[in-house]
Amino acid sequence: MKITIQSKSSETTFDCGDGEAILHAGLRQAVSLPYECATGTCGTCRARVASGDVEVRWKEAPGGARLKPDKGDILMCQTRALSDCVLKVPSEIAAIDVPPAPRRGVIRNVRKFTRDVVRFDIDLSSPMKFEAGQFVVIDCPDVVGARAYSMANFDTEVDRIELVAKRKPGGTFTGWLFDSLDGEPEVAVFGPLGRAVFRPHEDKNIVSIAGGSGIAGIMSILECAIQADYFSSHKGSVFFGVRTLQDAFYLETLARYVASSHGNLDVTIALSDETAITPFHADYPSLRLESGLVHEVAGKAIADGVGDAVAFVAGPPVMVDGAIRRLITCGMPSRDIRYDKFS
Amino acid sequence: MTWKRICGLNDVAENTVRKFDVEGIPILLVNYGAGYRAIPPICPHMEEPLEESSVVVRCILTCTKHLWAWKLDTLEMQGETEKPLKSYDLKQEDGSILVKVEEELVYEFDAEEDDDDFFK
Repeated sequence: MKITIQSKSSETTFDCGDGEAILHAGLRQAVSLPYECATGTCGTCRARVASGDVEVRWKEAPGGARLKPDKGDILMCQTRALSDCVLKVPSEIAAIDVPPAPRRGVIRNVRKFTRDVVRFDIDLSSPMKFEAGQFVVIDCPDVVGARAYSMANFDTEVDRIELVAKRKPGGTFTGWLFDSLDGEPEVAVFGPLGRAVFRPHEDKNIVSIAGGSGIAGIMSILECAIQADYFSSHKGSVFFGVRTLQDAFYLETLARYVASSHGNLDVTIALSDETAITPFHADYPSLRLESGLVHEVAGKAIADGVGDAVAFVAGPPVMVDGAIRRLITCGMPSRDIRYDKFS
Repeated sequence: MTWKRICGLNDVAENTVRKFDVEGIPILLVNYGAGYRAIPPICPHMEEPLEESSVVVRCILTCTKHLWAWKLDTLEMQGETEKPLKSYDLKQEDGSILVKVEEELVYEFDAEEDDDDFFK
Protein backbone atom coordinates (compact mmCIF):
# COMPACT_ATOMS: atom_id res chain seq x y z
CA MET A 1 0.00 0.00 0.00
CA LYS A 2 1.11 3.54 -0.70
CA ILE A 3 0.70 6.16 2.05
CA THR A 4 0.86 9.83 1.15
CA ILE A 5 1.38 12.25 4.04
CA GLN A 6 0.36 15.86 3.54
CA SER A 7 1.93 18.11 6.14
CA LYS A 8 1.67 21.88 6.46
CA SER A 9 4.27 22.51 3.80
CA SER A 10 5.18 19.25 2.11
CA GLU A 11 3.98 15.94 0.77
CA THR A 12 5.77 12.63 1.38
CA THR A 13 4.99 9.13 0.17
CA PHE A 14 6.05 5.77 1.58
CA ASP A 15 5.08 2.10 1.37
CA CYS A 16 3.10 0.35 4.09
CA GLY A 17 3.00 -3.41 4.52
CA ASP A 18 -0.05 -5.55 5.17
CA GLY A 19 -0.98 -5.27 8.83
CA GLU A 20 1.81 -2.79 9.53
CA ALA A 21 1.07 0.26 11.70
CA ILE A 22 1.25 3.37 9.52
CA LEU A 23 3.52 5.05 12.09
CA HIS A 24 5.99 2.16 11.94
CA ALA A 25 5.94 2.13 8.14
CA GLY A 26 6.79 5.83 7.92
CA LEU A 27 9.46 5.82 10.63
CA ARG A 28 11.30 2.78 9.29
CA GLN A 29 11.50 4.56 5.92
CA ALA A 30 13.03 7.60 7.65
CA VAL A 31 9.92 9.79 7.47
CA SER A 32 9.81 11.68 10.79
CA LEU A 33 6.11 11.34 11.57
CA PRO A 34 5.21 12.95 14.90
CA TYR A 35 5.01 10.56 17.86
CA GLU A 36 5.99 10.23 21.50
CA CYS A 37 4.80 6.95 23.01
CA ALA A 38 4.08 4.86 19.87
CA THR A 39 1.70 2.79 22.01
CA GLY A 40 -1.60 4.67 21.88
CA THR A 41 -1.42 6.69 25.08
CA CYS A 42 -0.16 10.17 24.15
CA GLY A 43 -2.11 11.23 21.05
CA THR A 44 0.88 12.89 19.35
CA CYS A 45 0.67 10.76 16.17
CA ARG A 46 -2.80 11.92 15.23
CA ALA A 47 -3.65 12.24 11.55
CA ARG A 48 -6.74 12.72 9.42
CA VAL A 49 -7.55 10.26 6.67
CA ALA A 50 -8.32 12.31 3.54
CA SER A 51 -8.81 9.25 1.34
CA GLY A 52 -8.39 5.49 1.53
CA ASP A 53 -9.54 2.70 3.84
CA VAL A 54 -7.95 2.04 7.21
CA GLU A 55 -8.46 -0.26 10.16
CA VAL A 56 -7.99 0.98 13.72
CA ARG A 57 -6.63 -1.73 15.96
CA TRP A 58 -7.16 -0.29 19.45
CA LYS A 59 -10.22 1.94 19.19
CA GLU A 60 -10.29 2.83 22.90
CA ALA A 61 -6.65 4.01 22.99
CA PRO A 62 -6.56 6.83 25.58
CA GLY A 63 -4.42 8.96 23.26
CA GLY A 64 -7.37 9.10 20.89
CA ALA A 65 -9.74 10.74 23.37
CA ARG A 66 -9.74 14.09 21.57
CA LEU A 67 -9.89 12.76 18.02
CA LYS A 68 -12.89 13.21 15.75
CA PRO A 69 -13.44 9.79 14.20
CA ASP A 70 -16.30 11.12 12.08
CA LYS A 71 -13.81 13.39 10.34
CA GLY A 72 -11.40 10.51 9.81
CA ASP A 73 -9.02 11.28 12.67
CA ILE A 74 -6.81 8.36 13.71
CA LEU A 75 -3.68 7.58 15.71
CA MET A 76 -1.06 6.35 13.24
CA CYS A 77 0.43 3.95 15.82
CA GLN A 78 -2.90 2.10 16.07
CA THR A 79 -3.92 2.13 12.42
CA ARG A 80 -3.28 -0.16 9.46
CA ALA A 81 -3.96 0.71 5.82
CA LEU A 82 -6.41 -1.40 3.85
CA SER A 83 -5.78 0.52 0.61
CA ASP A 84 -3.60 3.38 -0.66
CA CYS A 85 -4.25 6.32 1.66
CA VAL A 86 -3.76 10.05 1.84
CA LEU A 87 -3.30 11.37 5.40
CA LYS A 88 -3.03 14.89 6.73
CA VAL A 89 -0.56 15.39 9.57
CA PRO A 90 -0.49 18.66 11.52
CA SER A 91 3.27 19.13 11.81
CA GLU A 92 6.40 19.42 9.76
CA ILE A 93 7.95 16.24 8.36
CA ALA A 94 11.71 15.84 8.04
CA ALA A 95 14.12 12.94 7.61
CA ILE A 96 15.41 10.71 10.44
CA ASP A 97 19.11 9.92 10.86
CA VAL A 98 18.76 6.40 12.25
CA PRO A 99 15.35 5.07 11.21
CA PRO A 100 13.75 2.36 13.34
CA ALA A 101 13.08 -1.08 11.89
CA PRO A 102 11.00 -4.14 12.75
CA ARG A 103 12.97 -7.07 14.16
CA ARG A 104 12.15 -10.34 15.76
CA GLY A 105 13.46 -11.03 19.23
CA VAL A 106 13.73 -13.79 21.82
CA ILE A 107 13.26 -12.95 25.49
CA ARG A 108 16.03 -14.41 27.62
CA ASN A 109 17.41 -14.10 31.16
CA VAL A 110 14.29 -12.84 32.87
CA ARG A 111 15.37 -12.10 36.45
CA LYS A 112 13.51 -10.56 39.33
CA PHE A 113 15.23 -7.41 40.54
CA THR A 114 12.78 -6.63 43.33
CA ARG A 115 9.28 -7.66 44.42
CA ASP A 116 7.73 -6.01 41.35
CA VAL A 117 10.55 -5.23 38.92
CA VAL A 118 12.14 -7.64 36.44
CA ARG A 119 14.98 -7.21 34.00
CA PHE A 120 15.18 -9.20 30.78
CA ASP A 121 17.21 -9.40 27.62
CA ILE A 122 15.94 -9.59 24.09
CA ASP A 123 18.21 -11.21 21.51
CA LEU A 124 17.52 -9.44 18.24
CA SER A 125 17.22 -11.06 14.79
CA SER A 126 19.60 -8.42 13.41
CA PRO A 127 21.93 -5.90 15.09
CA MET A 128 20.48 -2.52 16.05
CA LYS A 129 22.10 0.90 16.39
CA PHE A 130 20.51 3.31 18.83
CA GLU A 131 21.21 6.41 20.87
CA ALA A 132 21.44 6.29 24.66
CA GLY A 133 17.99 7.05 26.09
CA GLN A 134 15.93 5.49 23.28
CA PHE A 135 13.24 2.84 23.59
CA VAL A 136 11.65 0.01 21.61
CA VAL A 137 8.06 -1.12 21.25
CA ILE A 138 7.41 -4.79 21.93
CA ASP A 139 4.51 -6.86 20.66
CA CYS A 140 4.09 -10.36 21.99
CA PRO A 141 1.79 -13.00 20.56
CA ASP A 142 -0.19 -13.65 23.74
CA VAL A 143 -1.02 -10.07 24.77
CA VAL A 144 -2.95 -7.42 22.83
CA GLY A 145 -1.31 -4.02 22.49
CA ALA A 146 2.32 -3.00 22.24
CA ARG A 147 4.47 -1.91 25.18
CA ALA A 148 7.38 0.54 25.21
CA TYR A 149 10.61 -0.16 27.10
CA SER A 150 13.85 1.82 27.27
CA MET A 151 17.13 0.10 26.63
CA ALA A 152 19.22 -0.09 29.82
CA ASN A 153 22.41 -1.11 28.04
CA PHE A 154 24.42 0.80 25.47
CA ASP A 155 26.85 0.13 22.67
CA THR A 156 27.25 1.51 19.18
CA GLU A 157 25.56 -1.58 17.78
CA VAL A 158 23.92 -4.38 19.76
CA ASP A 159 22.54 -7.88 19.16
CA ARG A 160 20.98 -7.92 22.60
CA ILE A 161 19.04 -5.27 24.47
CA GLU A 162 18.49 -5.17 28.21
CA LEU A 163 15.11 -3.96 29.44
CA VAL A 164 13.40 -3.38 32.79
CA ALA A 165 9.70 -3.86 33.48
CA LYS A 166 7.59 -3.06 36.47
CA ARG A 167 4.70 -5.33 37.32
CA LYS A 168 1.54 -3.28 37.65
CA PRO A 169 -1.62 -4.67 39.21
CA GLY A 170 -3.57 -6.18 36.34
CA GLY A 171 -0.74 -5.46 33.88
CA THR A 172 -1.20 -8.11 31.22
CA PHE A 173 2.22 -7.84 29.58
CA THR A 174 4.22 -7.78 32.79
CA GLY A 175 2.03 -10.53 34.21
CA TRP A 176 2.82 -12.59 31.14
CA LEU A 177 6.51 -11.76 31.53
CA PHE A 178 6.61 -12.70 35.22
CA ASP A 179 4.90 -15.97 34.32
CA SER A 180 7.29 -16.80 31.50
CA LEU A 181 10.42 -16.82 33.62
CA ASP A 182 11.32 -20.27 32.30
CA GLY A 183 10.49 -20.02 28.61
CA GLU A 184 12.18 -18.08 25.83
CA PRO A 185 9.21 -16.47 24.10
CA GLU A 186 9.44 -14.74 20.73
CA VAL A 187 8.32 -11.15 20.36
CA ALA A 188 8.22 -8.47 17.66
CA VAL A 189 10.50 -5.51 18.39
CA PHE A 190 10.18 -2.11 16.68
CA GLY A 191 12.77 0.56 17.26
CA PRO A 192 14.78 2.46 18.18
CA LEU A 193 12.35 5.24 19.05
CA GLY A 194 12.40 8.38 21.16
CA ARG A 195 14.08 11.74 21.13
CA ALA A 196 15.14 11.97 24.79
CA VAL A 197 18.69 11.04 23.86
CA PHE A 198 22.13 11.76 25.23
CA ARG A 199 24.79 12.87 22.76
CA PRO A 200 28.29 13.22 24.24
CA HIS A 201 29.26 15.98 21.78
CA GLU A 202 26.69 18.29 23.38
CA ASP A 203 29.26 19.05 26.02
CA LYS A 204 26.90 19.69 28.94
CA ASN A 205 26.53 18.46 32.51
CA ILE A 206 23.87 15.80 33.06
CA VAL A 207 21.01 15.81 35.56
CA SER A 208 18.87 12.67 35.67
CA ILE A 209 15.70 12.21 37.68
CA ALA A 210 14.14 8.75 37.50
CA GLY A 211 11.48 6.85 39.37
CA GLY A 212 11.43 3.04 39.57
CA SER A 213 11.86 1.30 36.23
CA GLY A 214 12.40 4.73 34.63
CA ILE A 215 16.04 4.33 35.64
CA ALA A 216 16.53 1.98 32.63
CA GLY A 217 17.08 4.73 30.05
CA ILE A 218 19.32 6.60 32.49
CA MET A 219 21.50 3.48 32.84
CA SER A 220 21.98 3.49 29.07
CA ILE A 221 22.91 7.18 29.16
CA LEU A 222 25.39 6.61 32.01
CA GLU A 223 26.92 3.62 30.22
CA CYS A 224 27.35 5.74 27.09
CA ALA A 225 28.88 8.57 29.15
CA ILE A 226 31.28 6.23 30.96
CA GLN A 227 32.38 4.64 27.67
CA ALA A 228 33.15 8.16 26.37
CA ASP A 229 34.91 9.09 29.66
CA TYR A 230 32.45 11.98 29.70
CA PHE A 231 32.79 12.53 33.44
CA SER A 232 36.46 13.45 33.09
CA SER A 233 35.23 16.89 32.05
CA HIS A 234 31.52 17.06 32.96
CA LYS A 235 29.44 16.67 36.08
CA GLY A 236 26.58 14.24 36.45
CA SER A 237 23.82 13.99 39.06
CA VAL A 238 21.48 11.03 39.22
CA PHE A 239 18.41 10.97 41.45
CA PHE A 240 16.80 7.55 41.60
CA GLY A 241 13.45 7.33 43.38
CA VAL A 242 12.12 4.11 44.92
CA ARG A 243 9.71 3.35 47.74
CA THR A 244 12.15 1.59 50.08
CA LEU A 245 15.75 0.47 49.88
CA GLN A 246 14.45 -3.02 49.10
CA ASP A 247 12.98 -1.62 45.88
CA ALA A 248 16.26 -0.23 44.56
CA PHE A 249 18.26 -2.05 41.90
CA TYR A 250 21.27 -1.48 39.61
CA LEU A 251 23.10 -0.27 42.73
CA GLU A 252 26.25 -2.23 41.99
CA THR A 253 26.39 -0.83 38.46
CA LEU A 254 25.71 2.70 39.70
CA ALA A 255 28.51 2.38 42.28
CA ARG A 256 30.84 1.19 39.51
CA TYR A 257 29.95 4.24 37.40
CA VAL A 258 30.63 6.55 40.34
CA ALA A 259 34.01 4.87 40.83
CA SER A 260 34.90 5.54 37.17
CA SER A 261 33.71 9.14 37.15
CA HIS A 262 36.78 11.02 38.45
CA GLY A 263 34.61 12.19 41.34
CA ASN A 264 32.20 13.97 38.99
CA LEU A 265 29.17 11.69 39.22
CA ASP A 266 26.82 11.88 42.22
CA VAL A 267 24.10 9.29 42.71
CA THR A 268 21.31 9.78 45.25
CA ILE A 269 18.72 7.13 46.05
CA ALA A 270 15.51 8.83 47.22
CA LEU A 271 13.27 6.70 49.45
CA SER A 272 9.64 7.81 49.41
CA ASP A 273 8.18 5.35 51.94
CA GLU A 274 11.09 4.87 54.30
CA THR A 275 13.43 7.03 56.34
CA ALA A 276 17.04 6.96 55.22
CA ILE A 277 18.79 6.05 58.45
CA THR A 278 22.30 6.65 57.10
CA PRO A 279 23.46 9.30 54.62
CA PHE A 280 25.18 6.65 52.49
CA HIS A 281 24.30 3.12 51.41
CA ALA A 282 25.84 0.55 53.77
CA ASP A 283 27.07 -1.76 50.99
CA TYR A 284 27.74 0.91 48.35
CA PRO A 285 28.98 3.93 50.31
CA SER A 286 29.46 5.99 47.14
CA LEU A 287 25.67 6.14 46.79
CA ARG A 288 23.84 8.74 48.85
CA LEU A 289 20.51 8.07 50.54
CA GLU A 290 17.75 10.62 51.14
CA SER A 291 14.16 10.44 52.35
CA GLY A 292 11.41 11.92 50.21
CA LEU A 293 9.89 11.98 46.76
CA VAL A 294 12.63 11.90 44.15
CA HIS A 295 11.62 15.13 42.39
CA GLU A 296 11.58 16.96 45.72
CA VAL A 297 14.94 15.53 46.76
CA ALA A 298 16.34 16.51 43.35
CA GLY A 299 14.67 19.92 43.52
CA LYS A 300 16.44 20.71 46.80
CA ALA A 301 19.80 19.50 45.54
CA ILE A 302 19.68 21.57 42.34
CA ALA A 303 17.99 24.65 43.80
CA ASP A 304 21.15 26.69 43.27
CA GLY A 305 21.31 25.79 39.61
CA VAL A 306 23.09 23.09 37.65
CA GLY A 307 25.24 25.13 35.31
CA ASP A 308 25.03 24.37 31.62
CA ALA A 309 23.20 21.06 31.82
CA VAL A 310 20.80 18.80 30.03
CA ALA A 311 18.19 16.95 32.09
CA PHE A 312 16.70 13.51 31.55
CA VAL A 313 13.46 12.61 33.29
CA ALA A 314 11.76 9.20 33.34
CA GLY A 315 9.22 7.54 35.56
CA PRO A 316 5.56 7.61 36.55
CA PRO A 317 3.61 10.61 35.15
CA VAL A 318 3.22 12.38 38.52
CA MET A 319 6.95 12.16 39.13
CA VAL A 320 7.77 13.34 35.60
CA ASP A 321 5.48 16.37 35.96
CA GLY A 322 6.94 17.23 39.38
CA ALA A 323 10.51 16.87 38.13
CA ILE A 324 9.90 19.04 35.06
CA ARG A 325 8.35 21.71 37.27
CA ARG A 326 11.41 21.70 39.59
CA LEU A 327 13.84 21.85 36.68
CA ILE A 328 12.08 24.82 35.09
CA THR A 329 11.83 26.58 38.46
CA CYS A 330 15.60 26.10 38.88
CA GLY A 331 16.02 28.06 35.66
CA MET A 332 16.60 25.24 33.21
CA PRO A 333 15.36 26.14 29.70
CA SER A 334 12.69 23.76 28.42
CA ARG A 335 14.80 22.86 25.38
CA ASP A 336 17.32 21.18 27.73
CA ILE A 337 14.75 18.95 29.44
CA ARG A 338 14.22 15.57 27.79
CA TYR A 339 11.68 12.89 28.51
CA ASP A 340 9.45 10.46 26.66
CA LYS A 341 5.92 10.12 27.89
CA PHE A 342 5.21 6.46 27.48
CA SER A 343 4.34 5.51 31.03
CA MET B 1 -16.78 50.25 27.21
CA THR B 2 -14.83 47.05 26.79
CA TRP B 3 -12.31 47.52 29.61
CA LYS B 4 -13.24 45.31 32.56
CA ARG B 5 -11.67 45.11 36.00
CA ILE B 6 -10.10 41.69 36.50
CA CYS B 7 -8.54 42.11 39.97
CA GLY B 8 -6.46 44.32 42.24
CA LEU B 9 -2.74 44.92 41.72
CA ASN B 10 -1.74 42.65 44.59
CA ASP B 11 -4.14 39.80 43.95
CA VAL B 12 -1.72 37.65 41.94
CA ALA B 13 1.70 36.96 43.45
CA GLU B 14 4.86 37.38 41.40
CA ASN B 15 5.64 34.42 39.13
CA THR B 16 2.23 32.87 39.59
CA VAL B 17 -0.96 32.62 37.60
CA ARG B 18 -4.59 32.87 38.65
CA LYS B 19 -7.79 32.19 36.77
CA PHE B 20 -10.59 34.75 36.81
CA ASP B 21 -14.07 34.83 35.40
CA VAL B 22 -14.64 38.17 33.69
CA GLU B 23 -18.34 38.33 32.90
CA GLY B 24 -18.45 34.71 31.86
CA ILE B 25 -15.11 34.70 30.03
CA PRO B 26 -12.33 32.68 31.69
CA ILE B 27 -9.06 34.61 31.78
CA LEU B 28 -5.73 33.59 33.22
CA LEU B 29 -3.77 36.46 34.70
CA VAL B 30 0.00 35.96 34.76
CA ASN B 31 2.24 38.08 37.00
CA TYR B 32 5.78 37.77 35.65
CA GLY B 33 7.33 40.35 37.91
CA ALA B 34 8.06 43.01 35.30
CA GLY B 35 4.41 43.00 34.21
CA TYR B 36 1.18 41.15 33.68
CA ARG B 37 -0.38 39.13 30.85
CA ALA B 38 -4.03 38.20 30.45
CA ILE B 39 -4.43 35.05 28.36
CA PRO B 40 -6.93 32.25 27.67
CA PRO B 41 -6.60 29.65 30.47
CA ILE B 42 -5.62 26.70 28.26
CA CYS B 43 -2.45 25.74 26.44
CA PRO B 44 -2.80 26.18 22.65
CA HIS B 45 -1.05 22.84 22.19
CA MET B 46 -3.36 20.23 23.70
CA GLU B 47 -5.76 22.22 25.84
CA GLU B 48 -3.96 21.62 29.13
CA PRO B 49 -5.35 23.87 31.92
CA LEU B 50 -2.50 26.36 32.38
CA GLU B 51 -3.69 27.19 35.88
CA GLU B 52 -2.30 23.78 36.88
CA SER B 53 0.25 23.00 34.18
CA SER B 54 2.18 26.26 33.87
CA VAL B 55 5.34 27.51 35.54
CA VAL B 56 6.42 31.15 35.35
CA VAL B 57 10.14 31.80 35.73
CA ARG B 58 12.33 34.63 34.42
CA CYS B 59 9.63 36.12 32.24
CA ILE B 60 8.86 32.77 30.57
CA LEU B 61 5.64 30.81 30.87
CA THR B 62 6.14 27.08 30.32
CA CYS B 63 3.37 24.51 30.08
CA THR B 64 4.96 21.57 31.87
CA LYS B 65 2.90 19.03 29.97
CA HIS B 66 4.85 19.14 26.70
CA LEU B 67 7.20 22.07 27.39
CA TRP B 68 5.72 24.64 25.07
CA ALA B 69 6.90 28.04 26.34
CA TRP B 70 6.55 31.74 25.58
CA LYS B 71 8.42 34.86 26.66
CA LEU B 72 5.80 36.93 28.45
CA ASP B 73 6.91 40.46 27.57
CA THR B 74 7.26 39.86 23.80
CA LEU B 75 5.12 36.68 23.41
CA GLU B 76 8.05 35.19 21.51
CA MET B 77 7.77 31.39 21.20
CA GLN B 78 10.54 29.39 22.90
CA GLY B 79 12.18 26.15 21.79
CA GLU B 80 9.88 23.78 19.94
CA THR B 81 6.70 25.73 20.61
CA GLU B 82 4.57 25.76 17.48
CA LYS B 83 1.65 28.10 18.22
CA PRO B 84 1.55 31.69 19.49
CA LEU B 85 -0.09 32.58 22.76
CA LYS B 86 -3.16 34.79 22.48
CA SER B 87 -3.31 37.74 24.81
CA TYR B 88 -5.88 40.33 25.92
CA ASP B 89 -4.93 44.00 26.09
CA LEU B 90 -4.41 45.01 29.68
CA LYS B 91 -3.80 48.18 31.68
CA GLN B 92 -3.31 49.20 35.30
CA GLU B 93 -5.49 51.93 36.72
CA ASP B 94 -6.18 53.08 40.29
CA GLY B 95 -4.74 49.93 41.86
CA SER B 96 -6.69 47.64 39.54
CA ILE B 97 -5.85 45.56 36.51
CA LEU B 98 -8.22 46.06 33.61
CA VAL B 99 -8.53 43.83 30.55
CA LYS B 100 -10.02 44.74 27.21
CA VAL B 101 -12.51 42.03 26.42
CA GLU B 102 -14.41 42.30 23.18
CA GLU B 103 -14.91 38.58 22.72
CA GLU B 104 -13.40 35.45 24.19
CA LEU B 105 -10.04 34.55 22.64
CA VAL B 106 -10.09 30.90 21.64
CA TYR B 107 -7.64 28.55 19.98
CA GLU B 108 -8.96 26.71 17.00
CA PHE B 109 -8.96 23.09 18.13
CA ASP B 110 -12.56 22.62 17.16
CA ALA B 111 -13.22 24.84 14.18
CA GLU B 112 -15.95 23.35 12.07
CA GLU B 113 -14.68 24.46 8.65
CA ASP B 114 -13.68 20.96 7.67
CA ASP B 115 -10.22 19.85 6.58
CA ASP B 116 -8.36 23.15 6.62
CA ASP B 117 -9.02 23.51 10.34
CA PHE B 118 -6.87 20.43 10.91
CA PHE B 119 -3.67 22.36 10.32
CA LYS B 120 -4.44 25.32 12.54
